[in-house]
Amino acid sequence: MSATMISQHIPDLDLITSYAERQDSFFSRVSPWTKLGGLVLVILLITVTRNLEICSTLYVAILAMYYLAGLPVKKLFAWYSLPVIFVLSLVGLLAWSEPGTPIFSCAVTGVTIALTDNGVLLIFTLLLKALISVTYSLFFLMTTKYEHFAGMISRIFPSPLDQIFLMAYRFLFLTLAMTGAMLKAVRSRGGGLVHSTRVQGRIFAEVFALVFIRSFERAERVHKAMIARGYRGTFGAGTAIPRPGLSGYGVLGAFSLAIAVIVWMVPNTGGW
Amino acid sequence: MAHIHLEDGSFSLVWVIVWWTAAIILIGISLYLLRSGKKTDSRKITIAAFCTAAAFAIFQVSIPVFGGVHLNLTPLIGILTGPAIGSLVVLIINILSAAIGHGGWSMIGANTLVNITEVLVASSLFSLLGKITQSPFARAATATFAGLVCGNIVMVGIILVSGVQGVTQSPTQILAGLSLIVAINLAVAALEAMVTGFVVTFLYRVRPDILGGKQENPGR
Repeated sequence: MSATMISQHIPDLDLITSYAERQDSFFSRVSPWTKLGGLVLVILLITVTRNLEICSTLYVAILAMYYLAGLPVKKLFAWYSLPVIFVLSLVGLLAWSEPGTPIFSCAVTGVTIALTDNGVLLIFTLLLKALISVTYSLFFLMTTKYEHFAGMISRIFPSPLDQIFLMAYRFLFLTLAMTGAMLKAVRSRGGGLVHSTRVQGRIFAEVFALVFIRSFERAERVHKAMIARGYRGTFGAGTAIPRPGLSGYGVLGAFSLAIAVIVWMVPNTGGW
Repeated sequence: MAHIHLEDGSFSLVWVIVWWTAAIILIGISLYLLRSGKKTDSRKITIAAFCTAAAFAIFQVSIPVFGGVHLNLTPLIGILTGPAIGSLVVLIINILSAAIGHGGWSMIGANTLVNITEVLVASSLFSLLGKITQSPFARAATATFAGLVCGNIVMVGIILVSGVQGVTQSPTQILAGLSLIVAINLAVAALEAMVTGFVVTFLYRVRPDILGGKQENPGR
């Protein structure tokens, strides 16, 4: 368990960065711009289609890319917990009143609610879309070096947004480690988050504040060190980012064409 | 907290574009305000970056009730950094969260709008309440709760207006389905208001300069 890991079920930034920096698979050599374009197209496709076959095929294809890139599949399944919980907690509630053939029904405060086949299909489709999105995102993060991300952030976002983004990424490891240590301390004293929040709310808040102050003091030290090295509010990231090759443009073009064909021809693409 | 825990593919393309455009306009206004004022203080950028990192870390700590709820500290961000920088901070937090599956990429626009509301209301109210009471706890807790309630209203409004793809219910039925989440969010908002109240009181006591003030003896 790395220092920045808050839970087994939340993506571990240390591990992600380690894969991104040390990997040398075919996908690591693909231009980051191609992978970013791929992300936009993947999100576009799952936004415009509700067709289960297309979503399933896309998911299997992305999972295969993730596996072929040599990335940890078991970890990925553990990291699915977060999106699965979120889909179930919101869509799981809405699915109960969907019209369709009832599969299960029960009475809640005198009102009968039923889970129908359409409700289950809704949960399953949105779950699949969530897994597609998170799998591709993690694939992108774990096959792209930090310097390339920094360069992309610097080119995409205007100042001072890019400055905050780039510095935040550096502080992230620090604060995640501190938050993880704080949670360990709470658990080692026999407290859970619910118990601790209820019983020791004030102490808990002061610990949070202390985390803030300690991180802030470290941030100030980093800032002073940067000033000493000539930082004047502009943190340039001039790293050259590999441009997409002909094959990269070809893949993106073919994917765009496939989306256009799917929207045109396949049923259940009512996502406009 | 108010934050749409919907993943990609939940909203139709039209609504994704609408919410993204609205968020970009607000972010553009924030950038304009920051650039048109005096030169952006590099220390403020450091504070904003630190706030982003701290809030993102705390964002990921889910309290294991009702499928996982979490504090998001957006009102505290508003109080610490102000509405302009706070808006930039919440955009970055939403991008970082989407990267690890905490909300979808296409939901960043909608979530940024919800969070900007929280930042704006909390930040403004915290300043306004300074004319009524000197208690940092009362100011921060009230501003936080009001900010989160407004964020909740915007969140529910966005879902009702956009609808969820595949859900065939009427807005009234969707609202009924969302009412449990709203109730949970309000309970967590009360908790977050208390936590923020204590955090701000503590900050006033030990590092008032972070809040833009000088050392003083806080009332409770």
